[in-house]
Amino acid sequence: MDQRRHRIGILLSSTGPYGLVARSMLNGALLAVEEVNAGPGGVALDATVVDPEGAIAGYVAGAEALLGSGIRHVVGCYTSSSRKEIIPIFEKRDALLWYPSHYEGFETSANVVYTGASPNQHIVPLVQHLLACRGTTAYCVGANYIWAWENNRILREALALAGGRVAAERYFPVGETEFDQVIAAILAARPDFVFSTLIGVSAYQFFRDFRRACLARGIDQPARMPIASCSLSEPELEAIGPDAVDGHLSSSVYFSSLAGARNRAFTAAYGARFPAGPTLSADAEASYIAVHLLAAALARAGTEDVGAVRSSACAVAFDAPQGPVRLDEATLHACLTPRIGVSTRAARFDIVAQASEPVAPDPYLVRSAPRVVPASRRTALRVVP
Amino acid sequence: MTGPRLVQNFSGTQALLVVAPTAATDVLAATLMKLGLTVATVLPAGEPPWLDLAILEPERHLVIVDGDLPMPGVGASAVGDLPPVPVLGLVGVEAPSRLKGLLQLGATGLLRKPIHGASVYAALFLAVNEHNRRRLLEERLARHEERRRGRRFVVKAILRVMHEHGLDDDAAFELLRRDSMRARRPLEEHCEALVRARPDHRAAPERRRAQT
Repeated sequence: MDQRRHRIGILLSSTGPYGLVARSMLNGALLAVEEVNAGPGGVALDATVVDPEGAIAGYVAGAEALLGSGIRHVVGCYTSSSRKEIIPIFEKRDALLWYPSHYEGFETSANVVYTGASPNQHIVPLVQHLLACRGTTAYCVGANYIWAWENNRILREALALAGGRVAAERYFPVGETEFDQVIAAILAARPDFVFSTLIGVSAYQFFRDFRRACLARGIDQPARMPIASCSLSEPELEAIGPDAVDGHLSSSVYFSSLAGARNRAFTAAYGARFPAGPTLSADAEASYIAVHLLAAALARAGTEDVGAVRSSACAVAFDAPQGPVRLDEATLHACLTPRIGVSTRAARFDIVAQASEPVAPDPYLVRSAPRVVPASRRTALRVVP
Repeated sequence: MTGPRLVQNFSGTQALLVVAPTAATDVLAATLMKLGLTVATVLPAGEPPWLDLAILEPERHLVIVDGDLPMPGVGASAVGDLPPVPVLGLVGVEAPSRLKGLLQLGATGLLRKPIHGASVYAALFLAVNEHNRRRLLEERLARHEERRRGRRFVVKAILRVMHEHGLDDDAAFELLRRDSMRARRPLEEHCEALVRARPDHRAAPERRRAQT
């Protein structure tokens, strides 16, 4: 059977501050391109890869160059700021951005397909799990940007509704590695869990320092004050290092340790193709899903026309490593299966909870957020004996 | 009472842009200048607030704040903490925490990023006039609050006049109203002065009880 060839763009910063995760995303996308080209789907993809090096200007130039060369479909972006910056270009030129990362939600665009988890698929299940299994008092430590602000807001409101509270929220500049003061404050507050939205080197340092401080005081940190987050992935566990790698909670729609033949085949293919790494992550799987869904939609539509591909994309399903994935037509976000993992000494995750079936996306949290912001409980005064 | 007069020409106003250094605000600045405003950029460095509210003049300044900055609305929990000038918010991430920040800062208009020149005038018109309307309502509310606090002196004064002049309440009120108009001061203020002039005067019910 003849294969119709389609040119696609890949816009990921495999160098720069978040290069580690973006490289695993690039690998996931390239693996999918090779599978599509070797498969029986009837389409072949020519991928043009652009590396914006983590700079906003690089994303604008890259998007303009890709779309200017006649490409209509681009898989790309990891940070929300980069996505926000190039969406107008896609809207103006009527192209489709396939965005393969979990993010904080509150966005839809007819020119973006979102294959990563939206907030009802990561933070909401995590809060439910923490309330059910760990307690109602949180201490929030995060990077000072939108990802942390929004996740902390959702956590704060959910805890308020459940009669719990946030002991404190502390924000740090991206790249901060000095955490002694906040660790002392956490140990004094004794929350039921720590909620971390730190990213990159800050996160790895915090995990190590907090474990060390707890050990010095004879506190069993994973049991007594576990650290929970929505963004912790396997490559990052490796970056934390062996002394503090285990016992952390992460909410994700994909873990590389998922059972089942489909995921075993995926991890084996990825490992064989990219022996030098980086290790698989949820966003790498989301990139892999994006390329496969795009290829299936192109095959079904028989054209690169954005309207036709968009309709076709909502009509096809993909048997992904995490389970069946399809797009929600109203929001162009993916139906995905939330899971909670606990990290192990081997820098992988044991799955301790998972949804029984894929959960429909809810980027504006219309199904899970209260209409009116719940009142937070004030910290009660302690009685001094 | 009539509403505030509509502002439709913004020439001579200075727009203070509180935006991240990397933000693309060329279109915004160019459009503001076309509309006759002058533009100054305030780079947010260190902890908020990044702007000295004391230097702002309602008739001369307008603040434009980027909602994507870390904590645009921190510290503004009371009306007195709000900038005394119109605030226009720039919306990038459309999430509740960001919008709350702009709301807390007193934004009365929003502009979606990236900014289209054609939407600036409408946003400016809404922000400035809605701010003026809200300020008028706040002033009116403060006046009403002041008068409400004075009502207990009116009641005391009516009781006193009823007792001293042997009048019913309607006649006592009418007498006080006429006196206050003659003295050219609000009724509440007049009654308060009257009551405070002889604070030891006993209220009529107590006096009656004392006689029995």
